[in-house]
Amino acid sequence: MSRKPPTVDGLSTQGRIGAIDLTWELTDWEPLVDHYAIHASHSAEVDLSAETLIGKTVYGRFTHDTLGPEAVTRYYSIVTVDAAGRRSRPSRAVAGTSTASMVVTGTPIAQVGEFDSKSLELALAPSGGQSGYRTAFPNGVDFTYGTSDPARDWSYLHPGPSDAWGGRTRHTFRLRFSLEEEARRLGLAIWLIDTHASLAGTATISVNGTEVTEVEFRGGGTRGSLEGDATVPGTALRPSFVELELPAEEFAVGENAVAITKNSGSWHAYDAVGVFALDQGR
Amino acid sequence: MAPHTSPIPPSRRTFLTLTGISTAAFALGTGAPTHAAPLSSRVPADPFRLGVASGDPTPDGFVLWTRLAPEPLAEDGHGGMPQRNITVEYEVAEDASFRRIVRRGRAVASAELAHSVHPEVNGLDPDREYFYRFRAGREISPVGRTRTTPSRRGRTGSITFAMASCQAWYHGHYTAYRDMAEQDLDLVLFLGDYIYEYGITPANLWRQGTGELGTAHAAATITLEQYRLRYALTKSDPHLQAAHARAPWLVTTDDHEVENNYADEVSQYGVGPQDFLRRRAVAYRAWYENQPLSKTSLPSGPDMRLYRRVRYGRLAEFNVLDTRQYRDDVPSDGGTPGGEHTDPQRSILGTEQEEWLYQGLRRSDATWNVMAQQVVMASIDRNTGAGVTYSMDQWDGFSANRQRLFDTLTRHKVANPLVLTGDIHRHAAAELKADFTDPDSATIGTELVTTSIASDGDGADSDNLAPIWLGNPHVRLYNARRGYVQVEMTREAVTSDFKVIDHIESDDNGKVSTAARFVTEAGRPGLEQVVGGAQ
Repeated sequence: MSRKPPTVDGLSTQGRIGAIDLTWELTDWEPLVDHYAIHASHSAEVDLSAETLIGKTVYGRFTHDTLGPEAVTRYYSIVTVDAAGRRSRPSRAVAGTSTASMVVTGTPIAQVGEFDSKSLELALAPSGGQSGYRTAFPNGVDFTYGTSDPARDWSYLHPGPSDAWGGRTRHTFRLRFSLEEEARRLGLAIWLIDTHASLAGTATISVNGTEVTEVEFRGGGTRGSLEGDATVPGTALRPSFVELELPAEEFAVGENAVAITKNSGSWHAYDAVGVFALDQGR
Repeated sequence: MAPHTSPIPPSRRTFLTLTGISTAAFALGTGAPTHAAPLSSRVPADPFRLGVASGDPTPDGFVLWTRLAPEPLAEDGHGGMPQRNITVEYEVAEDASFRRIVRRGRAVASAELAHSVHPEVNGLDPDREYFYRFRAGREISPVGRTRTTPSRRGRTGSITFAMASCQAWYHGHYTAYRDMAEQDLDLVLFLGDYIYEYGITPANLWRQGTGELGTAHAAATITLEQYRLRYALTKSDPHLQAAHARAPWLVTTDDHEVENNYADEVSQYGVGPQDFLRRRAVAYRAWYENQPLSKTSLPSGPDMRLYRRVRYGRLAEFNVLDTRQYRDDVPSDGGTPGGEHTDPQRSILGTEQEEWLYQGLRRSDATWNVMAQQVVMASIDRNTGAGVTYSMDQWDGFSANRQRLFDTLTRHKVANPLVLTGDIHRHAAAELKADFTDPDSATIGTELVTTSIASDGDGADSDNLAPIWLGNPHVRLYNARRGYVQVEMTREAVTSDFKVIDHIESDDNGKVSTAARFVTEAGRPGLEQVVGGAQ
């Protein structure tokens, strides 16, 4: 009864915007692993307590997400818990650092929603998208920064061509904003609280009617159509982040529009969207 | 329960040697003779809160089950039990007052199996009723009733059994089990989706009167402690416990015991096979821990032998199938003629299970050859206009496998094929055609599909899918309420009652009625409508 399960080996980290991905080597089938308990700390001394426990999984990977837009460093240690409730010795602590987002390195030009890992401030959130989208947004989303209201005018859920509830067609979400002076470097940040797991799909990004690139979304948890808060402990939501620089020559002084057109796959659920000036970091 | 006068307990090694019990059987709680294991004196109070059950009946016995859980909803999944082993005693009697006790034994409940025990009782008389109960320390369980099957050559006149599936706890009350527990049943067949893996949130908690559940239930089940907790929540229902205590169950899984629409090692949610098999392993472990299954179904890592055969004399042979663990992945087409779903290499059963099934069917001399399984076998065209669309999750996604089965049935003149199905949360009844595109082709079998116990809430007699199903001429019934199917099987006929409940979300007082009754005569496959019919 007293033999401890094996200690996790091979723990490594990889940082990205808003998140740090952890991977490790799976232990043997016996004793059966109930779960790996992942602990995170601000210091290299990882205290194994309820306060530092950030998640449990049976997989050999875990994403520490909802870390926010700043670059942050965390230290991780993992404990194996077996089917009998026995706990292994903690793994060696390993550091990981996330990447800073343009949300903090840039200067906001236009923004919809808060970059807070929640969709709750957006229209139809957290679960009314599939039933209410086509009525509320028969022509897609057309949002003007400064006058439109995120709670009324930007749907948290963006349907894709695979979605019967969206009419199995492409839908465009357009963000209009004004530039007072000629842009030098502008970036687009699309933060998602979740995507469809196997049909995350792709979207075309357009600036003032000109297609500038296509982005591919990361597969999520297929829960963001029903839930809106990715900071809830144990949530099935899997946030992801798309940030890219847009071609400055496509912008003009005065009115501009950036459009997101879902051209393949199923829905994605927004956390927030913003356009940022990248050459005036703060 | 009579006091046990055990001598000074022998050492573990001596005991195992003396009794001939394997270390594995001892550790896994599958059984040990009386006096074999030392008694446990310190047992937490009220440990039988998840009830008792029996299953996998044979002519001379059955599997008994209980799981010690004085605090069923403890978030670590261990039900409030300490890590140490607990010896559980059991008694089997011919009468409910336990005056004529015919078997006593002990099994060890260990933390590795969430303090569940699965003692296998044998040496009993065929085709008769028995009663059983457990004791741990001074705590005595509720009494369960069960039955052995008739002897292999027994000419039993009839059996009555119930079909159940899809019991999303959060969608409504288990009123169907309230009614089922009042019936005189020889057997309950559970056809999959005993639990659902989804997080329980205000958005899907339609069962009223539950109070606050807490955040431990809000996440999708991925770890063993989460699956254990979900089973504990499900099995805490008194009507489910009553139905388990009323008759032996023959159980199988579908997808939601692991993850929606999984196929073998393939998750439909973007989790790679190496990781997904870890989830399958803990899901299968929790399933075993909470069901009256014999040790042949004890999972090994991510694998579990679930397909098996139970015979009721010469009346019926039940082939319990597993259409999830070995199936090929979802095909790339949606039913395009000649598309991937027709690939002859595709199988919903896997090569070994297919061969096992065909061999059993070829050799069977039973009047009724039953296939108790998960997803709809009849071909269902879901396109009410021109063209065809099929569900690739059901047998339509594995048409070559279905054809191999049908070829076996016809070539070997297998008597009275009867397919029992769950999955779709609707009552349906269908005739299995040699050619589903030709209504005049031969009917070679009969399929009874039971609606959900709770999944999808109250429901209604009809809904927007009714025209799709009833647009297929071989479909004879469609009803979208909750309920179960009760079947009386004799040598001459199978009579199926499709029971429905008027509501399940608000409380467990719903009224139960029979939406339809069909008769299938032996030697005449198909459905003769007696009451109700297409809704």
